[in-house]
Amino acid sequence: MTRLLVPPLVLVLILLALLSLDQRERDADLVLASDNEIFTLDPQRMSWLGDMRIAYALFQGLVRWNTDDFSPQPAVATSWSTSDNGLVWTFHLDQDARWSNGTPVTADDFVWSWQRLLLPDTAADYSNLLFAVDGAKAFWDWRADALAQFTPSPGAAQVLMDETEHHFADTVGITALNTHTLEIRLTHPLPYLLDLLAFAPMMPVYRPAVEGWPDHHATTPPPWDDRQFVTLIPETGRLQPDHHWARPGTMVSNGPYVLDQWRYRRDLRLVPNTHANHSGEIKSVLVRSFPDPNTALLAFRSGEVDWLTGVSADVRQDLLEAKAANPLDTDILVRSIHAIPAFGTDFYSFNCGDTLANGKPNPFHDERVRRAFALATDKQTIVDHVTGLHEPITGSFTPKGSIAGYSPPKGLGFDRVRALRELADAGWSLNDSGALTDTMGTSFPSVDIKYTTSSSRNRRIATALRSQWKEALGVEVTLSGQDSKSFGADLKNGDFMVARGRWYGDWGDPTTFLELFHSTNGNNDRQFSNPNIDAKLDAAAAETDPATRMDMLADIERELFEVHLPLLPICQLVEVTMHDPKALGGMTTHPRLIQYIGDIHRQDGVDQ
Amino acid sequence: MSPMQRIIISRVAQIPIILFAVYTLTFALAWLIPGNPLEKDEGRRPPAAIAEAMQSQWNLDDPWTFYWSYLGDITGVNWLLGNGNTAVIDFGPSLRHENWSVNEIITGQLPVSMTVGIAAILLALLIGVSAGTLGGLRPGTWVDRLTGSVSVIGVSVPAFVIGTALLLIGGVWLQWFPVGGWGTLSHLILPSVALSLPFSAWIARLTRQGVLEEMQADYIRTVRAKGVSERVVVMNHVLPNALLPVLSYLGPATAAALTGSFVIEKVFAIPGLGMHFVDAVLSKDLTMIMGVVLVYAALLVILNLAVDVMYAWVDPRIQV
Repeated sequence: MTRLLVPPLVLVLILLALLSLDQRERDADLVLASDNEIFTLDPQRMSWLGDMRIAYALFQGLVRWNTDDFSPQPAVATSWSTSDNGLVWTFHLDQDARWSNGTPVTADDFVWSWQRLLLPDTAADYSNLLFAVDGAKAFWDWRADALAQFTPSPGAAQVLMDETEHHFADTVGITALNTHTLEIRLTHPLPYLLDLLAFAPMMPVYRPAVEGWPDHHATTPPPWDDRQFVTLIPETGRLQPDHHWARPGTMVSNGPYVLDQWRYRRDLRLVPNTHANHSGEIKSVLVRSFPDPNTALLAFRSGEVDWLTGVSADVRQDLLEAKAANPLDTDILVRSIHAIPAFGTDFYSFNCGDTLANGKPNPFHDERVRRAFALATDKQTIVDHVTGLHEPITGSFTPKGSIAGYSPPKGLGFDRVRALRELADAGWSLNDSGALTDTMGTSFPSVDIKYTTSSSRNRRIATALRSQWKEALGVEVTLSGQDSKSFGADLKNGDFMVARGRWYGDWGDPTTFLELFHSTNGNNDRQFSNPNIDAKLDAAAAETDPATRMDMLADIERELFEVHLPLLPICQLVEVTMHDPKALGGMTTHPRLIQYIGDIHRQDGVDQ
Repeated sequence: MSPMQRIIISRVAQIPIILFAVYTLTFALAWLIPGNPLEKDEGRRPPAAIAEAMQSQWNLDDPWTFYWSYLGDITGVNWLLGNGNTAVIDFGPSLRHENWSVNEIITGQLPVSMTVGIAAILLALLIGVSAGTLGGLRPGTWVDRLTGSVSVIGVSVPAFVIGTALLLIGGVWLQWFPVGGWGTLSHLILPSVALSLPFSAWIARLTRQGVLEEMQADYIRTVRAKGVSERVVVMNHVLPNALLPVLSYLGPATAAALTGSFVIEKVFAIPGLGMHFVDAVLSKDLTMIMGVVLVYAALLVILNLAVDVMYAWVDPRIQV
C-alpha cells in the first residue's frame, strides 16, 4: 500500500515545484483584454491592428493623429514644410526626443528604419507604402534583382550589403540633412503623406537594438559577426533578421511606454518611458490574452478587465438591443457596450475573369450579371435579421464619414425589377417554371459562394444571399464553407465564383480602398481589369490639386460601383467593444478606431 | 543485468525510432495543409516576390531540404556541426509568432499545462478513488448510485460548459476566484477541477470494479476469517490490488492531462501548450506543429514506460 502512495506523492512534489517557478500578475492602471494574439512587436513587420495598437504605445513616428478627426499632429517632428510642387517635404525633429535608453532620436534613425522597411530582406508587408518616394521602388527592385543573381564567394555578401547601403543613400529620396532635419522627395504629390507617416510600419526603430550591437552607444556599426540579431547569409547574400530584439530587455523604443514584460499568449505589460514626456494618467498597462471571448466578458463583468476589444458574438446582439431600447440602462454590461462603425467594408467578390478555374465560362465576366446580383441583394434585411448588428449598409467600398473631404457615391440599391432587366440585357430570363435560362433554354450555371467557416457570421450571410438570389433571380446557389488557409489559397488562384471578403483601410485616403481595382494590384483577387479605371487611377495619382484629386477618386468609385461592380459591398464593418464610460474617458469613436493608450484617462462616475 | 533492466534498456532504445516515425508522419501531414504559413489569410498581401523570398528563407519551398535540415536542428546534429543553432534541440522560430522561438514557447507553456494537468490528476485520484471505493464496498446502495451518476455527468458534460459554469459561479457571482489567467494558486483551482472531472469519473469506475472483484476473492475471505478488522482488510488487502488498473490508466491519463487540454486552456485563458495543437495546424505553423507533436509524443512514450516500471515495482510478480 505504501508503494502505491508514491506516484501521487511524486506528482504533488512536481506540482509544488512548478508553482514556485511562476511569477504572479501584478495589477495595472489599465487592463485590456486582447481577443487576438500579438504576432509581432517589430513595427516594420507589422500588419495586424492588434499589433499596431501596442506599437502606437511603444513607438512614436514623425507625426501622430488627433484621434477626433484624424488630422496629423506634431510628434517627433515639431514642424514641417513642403515645396510648392508638393514633391519635397522637410521635417524638423524635436531636439529633446529620446530613445528609451536616453540617446537622442535623430533623422538618421528614420532614414535607417525606412531603409529597413524598403529592403526585400525585411520582407515587410507594407514595404510598398514608401514607393511614392523618389527612387524607392527602383531600390527595392535593384536589391531584389541583386539577391536573385547573387553568386556566393567569400565576402560577396558583405560587398553587396555595402553597395546596397550606398545605393540607398545615393538614389532614394530620404535624406538626413542634419541630425534633426529630414527630407523626403517624392515622385508624385502625395496629399496623404502625413497620414502615412503616422502609420505603425513607419515608426523609427533603434538600429543598435534591432541588430543587437554589443555596444548600444557605438557610433559606427560593429562587424556583422558581432551583431546578435542579424546574420548576413554567405550563400544567399541576404540579411536574415532574428526578431528576438523586440522583447523586454532588448527592445529600445521612443514612444510613451516601454515594454516591461511579455509572456507569450499570456500577458504584456507596458510602463512609462522615463525618457519621454509622459503626461498621461495611465502609468501601467496590462494586456491580457483571452482566447475565449466569453471568458473575456466574464472577466470584464467581474471587474478584472477595463477594456475589451471584440465582444463575444453570443451576447453582443442582446446587449446592443438592450442599449438601443434604453440608452440610460445602468446595467454595467449594457452601458459598457459600444458598436462603432469602422474603417472597413464587408463584401462579396465576383470573379470577373473570362473563365472559371475549371475552364467553364464565367457568367460573372459580364458586368450586367454582376449588377443584377447586386441589385437583387436586400442588404437591410441582412444587417437587421442575419448579422443583427444593424451595420450601416453600403453600395460603395470606402466607408462613409471615414475620410475628411471625401464622400463615397451611393452605388446600386435594392431593385429586383431592374435586376431582371439587367439579366435580360445579358441574355438571361426567367422561364415559366421560374428558373433563369438563356434563349436556348440552357439554365444559368449554379452559383457557388465560398466563405470561411471561422465565424458563423460568414455562413449566415452566405445563406441569406443564397435565398435572396434564388428567390429574386431563379438561380441555383451552392455554399462552400472552407478553412481560412484553403480559402485564402483559392482566392489567390482565382478559384471561386463568388467569395466573401472584408477590407480595412490603412491610411486616410480613398486609395487605401480603391487601389484594389487597379489591374496590376497584388490584392486584386477578383481579376478585375478595366483599362479605363487603370488610366483614371493613374491620372488621380498624378493630380496635384487635392480637391480635384478627391473629385477624380469619387468619380472612379462611382463608375466602379454603379457600372462595373467588381464586388458586392454589403455593409460597413462595425467594431463592438466594451468599456465603462463612467470609468474610462478619452476613447475615440472615429471609424479609424486607432486608440492611443496614452490618451485614455480614468474618471469617477462622470459620463463622457 | 536483471531481465527488468534489459527490458527497460530496450524500451528506451525504441524511443528514438518511435519519435523518428512520428516526425516523418507529422511532417508529411503538416506539409499537405494548403496555404503558406507566412501569409495572412485575409487583408493586404505583401508583393509576391516577398512571399517567395520568405519561403526560401525558411526552406518552405522545398520539402526535402526542410525535412533534413529540420531533422538536423531537432536532433542536435546541426548544433554539433556548429551551424549557428543556439540550442541542442532547436525547433526553430515560430513561423507565425516571429518574436518567439518554438523552444521558448514550449519551455514557457509546457510547465503551465503540466501544473494544471498534475493538479487535475491528483484531484481525480482523490475524488475517483474515494468515490470508487465507497461504491465498490456497498454496491447497489444510494452511495453507489450517486457516485455512479456523478461519474456519468463527469464524462459526458462538455468541458466548456463545466468551465464556463465554474467561472460564472466561482468568479463572477461568488468572486472567490479570478476569471481566467494564470500565476497564483487561486488561478489553478477552477481549471483543475474542470479538467479533473472526466478523469475522476474513469478512476471511480475502475476503482469500483476492482474493489468489487477483490472483495469476492478467496484470499479476502481468508483474511477476514483470521479476524482482521474491516478497515485493515480494505486498506491493506483490497485496495492495493484493486488499484492496479488505475495505475495503468494513470500513464496515458497523465500524459493527456499534462500536455494540456485545448478547451480548458481556452475557457480559462491559461497560457498552456494545449491550445497550439489546434492553432498551429490551422495556421500551418510548421515548426510549431512539429515541436508540440514531438514533445507530446516523447511525453507519452516516457510516461507509458514509467508506468510500466512503476507497475512492476508495485507488484513484483508482473513482468514489464
